[in-house]
Amino acid sequence: MNRITSYLRPGMALPLRLIGSVLVVVGALLPWATFVLNRGAYPAKSTLQYFDLPFAVTGFRLHVLLLGLAALVVTFAPVPGRGRILRGLGWGAVLVSAVNVLFIAYYGGGLGAVTVSEIPAFGGIVGLLGGLAVVAGAHAGGIEEPVHLPTGLPRPAAWAVLLVSYAGLLMMVAWTLTAGGQGGVANPYAGAQFLSFLGFAGGLLAALQGAGVLPWIGRLSEDHRPFSIVVLLGCALALPFTGAGTDYWMTVAANIGIYAATAIGLNVVVGLAGMLDIGYVAFLGIGAFVAANLSGAVAAKVDITLPFPVAAVIAAVVAGMFGSIVGSPTLRVRGDYLAIVTLAFGEIFVRTAQNNIGGLTGGPNAIPGVPPVTIAGTGFNEPITIGGTKLPSGVLYYFMIVLLVGLVMGIFANLKNSRIGRAWIAIREDEDVAKAMGISTGRIKILAFMVGASTAGLSGAVFAHKLGTVSYESFKFLESVTLISAVILGGMGTIPGAVLGASLLFVLPEKLREFSDYRLLLFGLALVLIMRFRPQGLVPDKHRRAELAGEDFEGRPLEESVTEQAHLPPAGAVLPGEARA
Amino acid sequence: MRNQLVKSAAIVAGALLIAACGTNKTETGGGGGGTSCDTSKGTLVVGVVAPLSGSLSALGLGIKNSASLAVDQANEKCTVKGYKLALQAEDDQANPQIGAQAATKLSSDPNVVGVIGTLNSSVAQNVQPVLKAKNIVQISPANTNPTLTRGQNFLTAPKRDFPTYFRVCATDDLQGPFAANYAVGKAGKKKVAIITDGKTYGDGLAAEFQKQLVKQGGSVVAKEKVGEKDTDFSGVIAKVKPSNPEFVYYGGEYPAAGPLSKQMKDAGMNIPLFGGDGIFDDKFIELGGKEGDLATSVGAPTEKLDSAKVFIDAYKAKNYKETYSAYGAFSYDAANALIGSLGKTLGDSGKWGDDQRSKLLENVGSYSATGATGEVKFDQYGDSTNKLMTVYQVTGGKWNPAETGTFS
Amino acid sequence: MTTLFQQIANGVVLGAVIGLVALGYTMVYGIIQLINFAHGEVFMVGAYGGLATYTWILPRGMRGHWQITLPASMLGGVVVAVIVAVLMERFAYRPLRNAPRLAPLITALGVSVFLQEAVRLFYPDAKSARPFPAMFVGGGMQLPVPGGQVVLPWIRVALVVIAVALAVALQMYVNRSRMGRAMRATAQDRDTARLMGIDPDRVIVLTFILGAALAGVGGVLYGAYQNTINVDMGFQNGIFAFTAAVLGGIGSLRGAVIGAFVIGLIKTLGGQYLPGGTQYDYVWIFVVLILVLVFRPEGLFGEAEKVRA
Repeated sequence: MNRITSYLRPGMALPLRLIGSVLVVVGALLPWATFVLNRGAYPAKSTLQYFDLPFAVTGFRLHVLLLGLAALVVTFAPVPGRGRILRGLGWGAVLVSAVNVLFIAYYGGGLGAVTVSEIPAFGGIVGLLGGLAVVAGAHAGGIEEPVHLPTGLPRPAAWAVLLVSYAGLLMMVAWTLTAGGQGGVANPYAGAQFLSFLGFAGGLLAALQGAGVLPWIGRLSEDHRPFSIVVLLGCALALPFTGAGTDYWMTVAANIGIYAATAIGLNVVVGLAGMLDIGYVAFLGIGAFVAANLSGAVAAKVDITLPFPVAAVIAAVVAGMFGSIVGSPTLRVRGDYLAIVTLAFGEIFVRTAQNNIGGLTGGPNAIPGVPPVTIAGTGFNEPITIGGTKLPSGVLYYFMIVLLVGLVMGIFANLKNSRIGRAWIAIREDEDVAKAMGISTGRIKILAFMVGASTAGLSGAVFAHKLGTVSYESFKFLESVTLISAVILGGMGTIPGAVLGASLLFVLPEKLREFSDYRLLLFGLALVLIMRFRPQGLVPDKHRRAELAGEDFEGRPLEESVTEQAHLPPAGAVLPGEARA
Repeated sequence: MRNQLVKSAAIVAGALLIAACGTNKTETGGGGGGTSCDTSKGTLVVGVVAPLSGSLSALGLGIKNSASLAVDQANEKCTVKGYKLALQAEDDQANPQIGAQAATKLSSDPNVVGVIGTLNSSVAQNVQPVLKAKNIVQISPANTNPTLTRGQNFLTAPKRDFPTYFRVCATDDLQGPFAANYAVGKAGKKKVAIITDGKTYGDGLAAEFQKQLVKQGGSVVAKEKVGEKDTDFSGVIAKVKPSNPEFVYYGGEYPAAGPLSKQMKDAGMNIPLFGGDGIFDDKFIELGGKEGDLATSVGAPTEKLDSAKVFIDAYKAKNYKETYSAYGAFSYDAANALIGSLGKTLGDSGKWGDDQRSKLLENVGSYSATGATGEVKFDQYGDSTNKLMTVYQVTGGKWNPAETGTFS
Repeated sequence: MTTLFQQIANGVVLGAVIGLVALGYTMVYGIIQLINFAHGEVFMVGAYGGLATYTWILPRGMRGHWQITLPASMLGGVVVAVIVAVLMERFAYRPLRNAPRLAPLITALGVSVFLQEAVRLFYPDAKSARPFPAMFVGGGMQLPVPGGQVVLPWIRVALVVIAVALAVALQMYVNRSRMGRAMRATAQDRDTARLMGIDPDRVIVLTFILGAALAGVGGVLYGAYQNTINVDMGFQNGIFAFTAAVLGGIGSLRGAVIGAFVIGLIKTLGGQYLPGGTQYDYVWIFVVLILVLVFRPEGLFGEAEKVRA
C-alpha cells in the first residue's frame, strides 16, 4: 500500500477525486450485465440500458450512485476530514462494484457477462475503476488526522442526536438482515445482494468515521450513558416492528441472544480473567438438560414441572456448581494446560450425555417435547398482536432474550469495573503480581468460572424451552470453538463485543447459506486472519488494544499517543508483563 | 468556501438530472428453462433440510441430490400442472438449533410445499414443531427413531404428535426384530455380541434387535459401544472375542462398520457382522466388509425392482459430485411422494395457497406408489407401510439378497 | 488371560501411532511453547498424502509389492505433511511469535478447522471415509501367551517397529547432532541461542518439519492398518497425542513416547476392565489427563512449567 501511495502527488488529488466520483456515478447508470443470466435477471434491472422512470435506479446501483454523488459533493464541499471520508466512500464503491462484477461474471460464465456481449455493459468495471480513483485521490491529497468533533451539547440536543443515531442503527440492522430477502429459490442472488449491501454499509460507516461522526456519537453516548442504554434496549425491542420482524429472523435472533449471553459469560473467563476455556459449551448443555428435566417433558427423568423462572435459576445454580468444579484445577494449572483441562471436561460432558448417564440426558434420543414458556396462557412460541400490529411467532422469546442479554450485559458491565473485575484483569495481566498485591487469586479465578458457567446455565434454560428438544449433539466441541470465536471476533474483554461477535457468527452463515459448503473452511480461515491482523477484535477493550495491537483507543500507535493520553501506560510498561516466551 | 458549496450543489442537481432522463427498454424475462411444460402459474419450492457441511455432509448431499433428481424429473414430466418446481436445500449442520432455523426459513416462504429431511432424528425433533405450526408436510428419508411418529410410548400407547410428519424409511422397531428373526431362525445363530456407535440410529436399532433376539431365545453375550469417530476397533474386538459370539450385530453406519468387519477378521474373529440399512452400501465392502457379512434393508431387493434401477441410472446420468449414499433412494422416494401428492392436490387447474396445505397433507397420507425402495405408502402414524424387508449377504464381493419377508 | 495380553498388544499398537503424533506436539511445545492444535490435522493430511501417492503416482503394476508401496506412500505422506506444516508455521504461527499466548492457540484451532475442511472439500470423495489400501496382505504374528495366543497382523508389528525406530532416531538426532543441539539451546532460551549464532527461525522450521514427518509416517501407517481414513481422524488422535505429550511431560521426547503407550493401554484396558466398558474409554483418558495436570503438571518426565501468564 505504501509503495503505491508513494507514487501519488498532492497535485493529482483533485483530478483523481473528480474523475473517480464522476466515473462512479456514470458506472451506476450504465448497464451491468450484458445478458439475462441463466438463473434469471440480475437484481436492480442491471441489464437495462436506461430507465423507464426518473430515479428508477434501485438496489445496489442506487447504492453506487449515492456513493458516487456523495464523493462528488465531498470533493468540493469544505468538510473536515475530506480525505478520510473520500477513502471510505471510494472503498465502498469498490466493494459494491467488485461484489456485483464477480457475481455476474461467475453466474454469467465469464468476463463476457460484464463487458460486451448482447449489449455493452461496463457499469461494474467503470464503477470499480471510479472507486479506485477516488481512493487514490483521497490518498494523494493526504489522509488527515482523525477529526475530533466537540461534544459539549446541551442535554436535549444530545438526546435528540442519540435518538436519531440509534434509530439509524436500528434501520441499518434491519436493512442488513433483510438485504437480498430470504434468498433460496425466490431470489438466487440473495448472497450477492447481501454482500453488496455490506460493502455499501461499510463504505458509509467508514465515511462517517472519517468525518468524525461515529466517534462523536460514541463519546456522546458515553456522556449520556443511562439514556443511551435505555434507547439501545428500546431499539433492540423495536426490531420485530421493522422489516426484520419475520418468524425466521426472530428465531435466528433468539438463537443469537442465547449464544450472546453465553459468550458474555465466557468473556469473563477468557477475556477478563485470561483463562482459555475450550469446553465451555458444556455449561450451556448442563443448564439446558437441567431445565429440560424440570420442565415436565415426557422423556424427562425427574417428574416435576417447575415454572420457568424457578427452573432457570436452578439451571444457573447447577451450572455454576459445575463451573466451580471445572474451575478448581485453575488453582494448580495455568495457561495452555488449563485450556486442555477444559477441553477434557467438555469431551467428558458430551460423552456422558451421549451415554445417558443416570437417564438424565436422554442419550442419543435426546429429551424432546420441552414445553414452551407461557405467560398468562400465551405460549412464547405463538404470534401475538400488540396495538394492532401482528408480530411473528417467537417474538416473545425474542423479547425475553433481549431483556436477558440486557440484564447480563448490565451486570457484567458493573462487575467488570468492580473490585472483582479489576482482580480478574490483574490476574490476566500477571498472576504472580496480582497475588503479591493481596488478591486471593484462587478464589477469584474459581469465581470467574462460576459466574461464567451460571450465565451459560441460565441461557441453557432458555435454550431448552425455546428449542423444545435438548440433545447432546448441540454441545459438541465445535460449538465451544464458535463461542470462543464470538468472544475473540468481538474483542476479548468487552461486553458489547461478545454480543457483536455472536451476532456476526450467526447472521453471516444464515445470510450466506448458498455458500454453506465453505462455511467451516472460511470460519477456520477467519480465526487465523483475525489473530494475525486484528487480534484485539472488532470492539477492542482499552487494555487489550494496548497490549495486542500497540494502539490506543483512537487507533493511534501507542508510542505517539503516550504523551497526550497519560492514563495509558507506555507500551514498554505493559508488554513485559505478558511474559513473552 | 461559498463557491465550493455552490459547485457541489450544482453537481448534485446535474447528476439527478442525468439519472432522471432516459429512454425505455424493458428487460426480457428469465433465460434458461427450456421445458415444454406450462409453468405459467409460477414456481413452487420443495425444501430440503440436511447436513450439507461438516462430517455428515456425504449423507446430506446424497439426500439433496436425490431430491433434486426427483424435482428435475417432475419438471420434465409436468407432474404439477401449471407450476415449475424448484429445490431449496438448507444446511442444518447436523445441529438441532440450526435445523430449526433452516426449517423456519423454509416455512416462512409461502411457496414451499413441503420439506424433505432431516438426516438426524435429533434435528427432526426440532424441525417437527416448526413445520407443524405452519401445516407443512415433512417427509424424512432417514429418521429411524420410532418416537418421531408414535410418541414417547411408541410400543404401548402410540400417539401421533405431528400430523405433518411422514417418513419413508423403516423404523428401528421393524428392522431390528426382522434381523433378529433371521439370525435365530434362518441362520441358526443365537449368541450375539452387540456393538453400537452410540448414536440415535445405531443405538435404537440395536436395542430393538436385542429385544426380539432375546424373545427368540438368543442371548447377548457382550454389548459394547464405540466412539463416533473411532476407526481403531481392536480394543472392542479383543473384549468381545472371549465371549465367543456366533456373530456381531453392529448398530451404526458403514464408515465404521467396514473397518470393524475387517479388523475382526484380522484379529482372528471370522464371524459375520450383521447390521441395518446403514451398512447396506457398496462402500461397506470397499471399506473392509468381508464375505458372509449381513445387512437388512427396506423393500424388495433392488435387482428385482425396475424403479430402483431407474433411479440409480438416472442419478448416474446427472453426474452429481457426490454419490447418492445411504439415504439417496429414500430421499428420491420421499420427494416423489411429495410431488405426486402435490400434483394430485392441484389437479389440472388448482392454485397453490395455504388453503391447499390440508388437502396436500391428506393426499400424502393416502399416497401410494412404487419407488426406488419399493412400496411407498404411509400408515396412520405417518410411518412407511413398506414392512417388506430383505436380508442381504456379502458373497463374491457383492451384496446379494438372502431372504425377503415382512415383520409384523 | 489371553484377552489381557491381546488388549496390551492392541494398546501398544495404538500407543505407537499416538506416539508418532505426540513427538511432534512435544517438540513444538518444547521450542516455542505452542500447543499446535493443528498437529493432529497434519497427521490426517499425511494419511491423505500417502493415499494420493498410492492412487495417482505409483504405477499400477507395483501395487502388489509392499516393499515399494509402503515406503513410497510413507514418503508421499511425509512430503505432504511437511509442506503443510511449513506453510502453517510460516503464515499462521510465525507472525504471532511475540503475541500473547492466547493468540497462537486460537490460531491453531482455526488452522485445525481449516485443514479438516480443506481436505473434505477438495480431496476427491473425502466427504465420507475412504478406503486405504492394505499394503501388507494376510497373516500375522502369533505370540504364545499363557492360556492361548495373541494375534498381531504384520502391519501392526511393522507399525510398532517403525514407530520405535523413528523415536530412537529422533532422540539420537536431538541429542547428538549439531542441529539437535541448536534445538535444545533454542528450547532453553531463544534469545541466548540467537546470541550464540543460532538462527531460531531455522530451528523452529526444522522442528515443525521433523514433527510433521513423523506425523506423516504415522498417518500412512494408521491408514494401512485400519484400511480406512477420514478427515476426522486427526482431531481425535491429536487430542490423544497431546494428552500423551502432557502425560509424559511436555517437552520430553522420551516422555511423549512413554505417555503415548500409557494412553494406548488406558484406552484398551480401560474399555476392557473399567466400569462402563468401551463407551467410556475416552472418558478415562481425559480423567487421567485432568488428574495428571492437577497433581503432577510437569508430567511423568518433564520439568515444572515455568511461570507464565
